[in-house]
Amino acid sequence: MALETQLSTDEKLLVIKMDDKFDFGKVQDFRKAYADLPESVNVVEVDLAHTEYMDSSALGMLLNMQKVLKDSVPTIRITHCRPQVLKILTISRFDKKFDIK
Amino acid sequence: MRILIVDDESINRFLLVHMLEEDGLLDVYEARSGHEAIVLASKIQPDIVLLDVVMPDLSGFDVARELKNTNDNVYLPIIFITSLDDEETIAKCLDVGGDDFVSKPFNKTVLLAKVRAHARTRELSKKAELQNKELTYFRHSIEREHEIIEHIFSQAIVNNPLVTRYFDYRLFPAAEFSGDVFLCEASPNGGLYFLIGDFTGHGLASAIGALPVTKAFQAMATKGLSVSEIASTLNTTLESLLPINMFFAAAIVEVSENGCRLNVWNGGMPNLLLQSPTGELVTKFGSQHMALGILQADEFDDKDEVYSTEPGSRLLAFTDGLIEITNAEGEMFGEEGIERWFVGNPSVSVEELMAPLKQFLGGNEPHDDITLTMFTCQALTSLRRNQPVTALPFSVSATLHHNELKQGEGVQHFIELICSQRGLSWIRSDLFTILTELYSNALEHGVLGMDSSMKRTSEGFMAYYEQREQNLADLQSGYIELRAEFDVGERLLTVHVTDSGEGFDSLALEKVPSDETYGRGISMLRELCETLTFIDNGRHAVARIPV
Repeated sequence: MALETQLSTDEKLLVIKMDDKFDFGKVQDFRKAYADLPESVNVVEVDLAHTEYMDSSALGMLLNMQKVLKDSVPTIRITHCRPQVLKILTISRFDKKFDIK
Repeated sequence: MRILIVDDESINRFLLVHMLEEDGLLDVYEARSGHEAIVLASKIQPDIVLLDVVMPDLSGFDVARELKNTNDNVYLPIIFITSLDDEETIAKCLDVGGDDFVSKPFNKTVLLAKVRAHARTRELSKKAELQNKELTYFRHSIEREHEIIEHIFSQAIVNNPLVTRYFDYRLFPAAEFSGDVFLCEASPNGGLYFLIGDFTGHGLASAIGALPVTKAFQAMATKGLSVSEIASTLNTTLESLLPINMFFAAAIVEVSENGCRLNVWNGGMPNLLLQSPTGELVTKFGSQHMALGILQADEFDDKDEVYSTEPGSRLLAFTDGLIEITNAEGEMFGEEGIERWFVGNPSVSVEELMAPLKQFLGGNEPHDDITLTMFTCQALTSLRRNQPVTALPFSVSATLHHNELKQGEGVQHFIELICSQRGLSWIRSDLFTILTELYSNALEHGVLGMDSSMKRTSEGFMAYYEQREQNLADLQSGYIELRAEFDVGERLLTVHVTDSGEGFDSLALEKVPSDETYGRGISMLRELCETLTFIDNGRHAVARIPV
């Protein structure tokens, strides 16, 4: 499994931990990661601590997730970005649409 | 106990030997003259000498002087035997090095008591001499060990001079070895990292931790890891390495390539001060965390602070040795002390900051290591441009046919091939993004002839990738050619991606509204490349990437 998901014990927070590459190869897994969420979830966190590379389809996947979850999950945040990943997110103005830490 | 009796009269020698033997002291030698005494003493190494004053060849005074001179550092008691009881002679006996005297006729009780008393003193002296020798030996071996350690430290804890020239810094160790650490390293993303830290205590015991910290820091910096990750890895390493009462206060900072974006993680260090180009205090980066090496991995907080400032701002960091220096009145210099000199003083150098400190100390020695470092925010492009790069003007190409396209790993191997060249690992992440992006475009829009606009809806987005998978599995022909050329003089890598497809409208892709889930690839690439052009109706993309 290329990515891991963790649901907090109070079922309010879902963390999706990506591995070193966040590219089109992750489309299916990433979609599955936030499918069938419990209604209690109000924060989804995409943890990019281990992600070294990202391509534009990853950006597409993040936007897609935002579209799908916009009515059910108020907060989607992207955390632990490495500088090069952050650079791509910033170039793409993702800092305006997502809570990036 | 070995006793030497020196007397020219045999009756005296006989009496003395007899008295000593009666008390069980049997290791006794006799000399009949001063010369004989000197020769014999060097041979038998007596513990006590009983010495007559008046002798025909050498007087007892001369013998005493000689014996005391040739003796090693151990106390050799000389007891004069004298029939003369005038005060002058007795005084001279003691002047020339004698330690005591017994008068003739001999009183056995007094003689033996004196012999035993001096023997005790000699024993003490022997012990002290032995301990001195041991101490000297230990001192020498420690000096030798320190030399070796110093050598290792000077080889292991070395900062890249290309990076250090961006810093104004000084280290003042309180002892031979410093528990303070200042490290800096270039980042593969064009920026740099630095670390300033302070192990508990000072001297060798606290310096030793600097070795693993340096190695780990340099390894992680060259990989381009985030300060959070560096902090967390150092914490885990030190937590398992250091004894429980020892830890490492540290501030880790990453500076972006433009020199103005700072990521700061501060655990247990004094405030880092950021000054505007005109000298005002802009912000302080206080300690937000416990020092490294204390918390377990699951308790550890790796959260860093991010701050963007303007060029010409200056970031000052220092260890607590600086604020804890104390003057003769027992007052501490304090954080206010350093702030008073730094704030409002946009041109002050680290050297000049030290001047008021020295004045404050007023001749006192600081008790702890002191380190100061100052970074002036400036573009770091020259740092990247100064990294050595391969001298080989190479050109490589790979053509991926439908079977390789199905496996999908070709592009990554191609990237590895380029990045294995000296100095090119620096652009790895940019190159990855650029090449995979161009490859995806060539494959999806060229070889597979797919249209991005179907990604507009959420269902379409998934359907697009499902179709991509299906089309790829069915693929019977087509190719993508990857080519890279490196211009050594210009330090420019040009990559070409050519595909066998029908071509596509690259311009249309750039006009997609920004909130769509597709079409952002090419505008993103334009930011990463020096130039990006599509020729041959979008079939052939050329990206020029500065190294």
